[in-house]
Amino acid sequence: MIKVRIPTPLRPMTGGKSEVEMAGSTVSEIIENLGSAHPGIKERLYDEQGEVRRFINIYVNEEDIRFLTGKDTPLKDGDEVSIIPAIAGGS
Amino acid sequence: MLSIPSSIIQNMIEHARELAPHECCGILSGKEGEISDCYRITNILANMSEQELTRFDGAKLSDLQRLSPEERADIAFQMDAREMAMAQRDMRSKGLDLLGFYHSHTFSPARPSLTDITIAMEFESYRAKLNFPEPFHLIVSLEVADQPVVRAYRIQEALATEVPIHTLN
Repeated sequence: MIKVRIPTPLRPMTGGKSEVEMAGSTVSEIIENLGSAHPGIKERLYDEQGEVRRFINIYVNEEDIRFLTGKDTPLKDGDEVSIIPAIAGGS
Repeated sequence: MLSIPSSIIQNMIEHARELAPHECCGILSGKEGEISDCYRITNILANMSEQELTRFDGAKLSDLQRLSPEERADIAFQMDAREMAMAQRDMRSKGLDLLGFYHSHTFSPARPSLTDITIAMEFESYRAKLNFPEPFHLIVSLEVADQPVVRAYRIQEALATEVPIHTLN
């Protein structure tokens, strides 16, 4: 199983959980399974073209998937996927 | 104490002025409390969809929803995640750490807003797990147009504490 870290704004969709365990052999599969288990979450992560939204980084362990093989990045048991919105703020 | 070359302070002020009235944003890297590099990051807020705005919380979200996309970037920023990742990769290749984030307040003082603090705390909850050092949060205020102010803060447990800036020439 893969541990998936859920960012604060999406926790209402996971019943408040900051981490969930998901099955999947790639990042894409994890997001699909996450979307099935927690409806609405996939749409918050992917844009209309099915790409990761421009303000979201997805890390496998400590590496951004953009520098691995994107959504096809393979996962093995014990890997950790972190979904992290890039820094924002406002005056 | 945070040490910053005067050229980088000037760079942040110029960035803020170039984008005003929109807020600018960027990342600072270096070693052991001394900044050596500055990465300008695109504020993508004006290009975000209504749905994507839900990344912000309560009051700020309501404010943003009342404004046009262009006007939204006057009161908030969202860093481009890809550019942020590229900057992090570049600093890692140079053996530098991510030391801070900066953004501008076009019409208000150089102190963190409630939104800044909320999102900094959100970042804080992920930071240690990804092995990022604790960042400084810098704000460039253009409230008084000809007297820009740059201040640095640590944000811990929902409190912002100002950190003195030592300017290096």
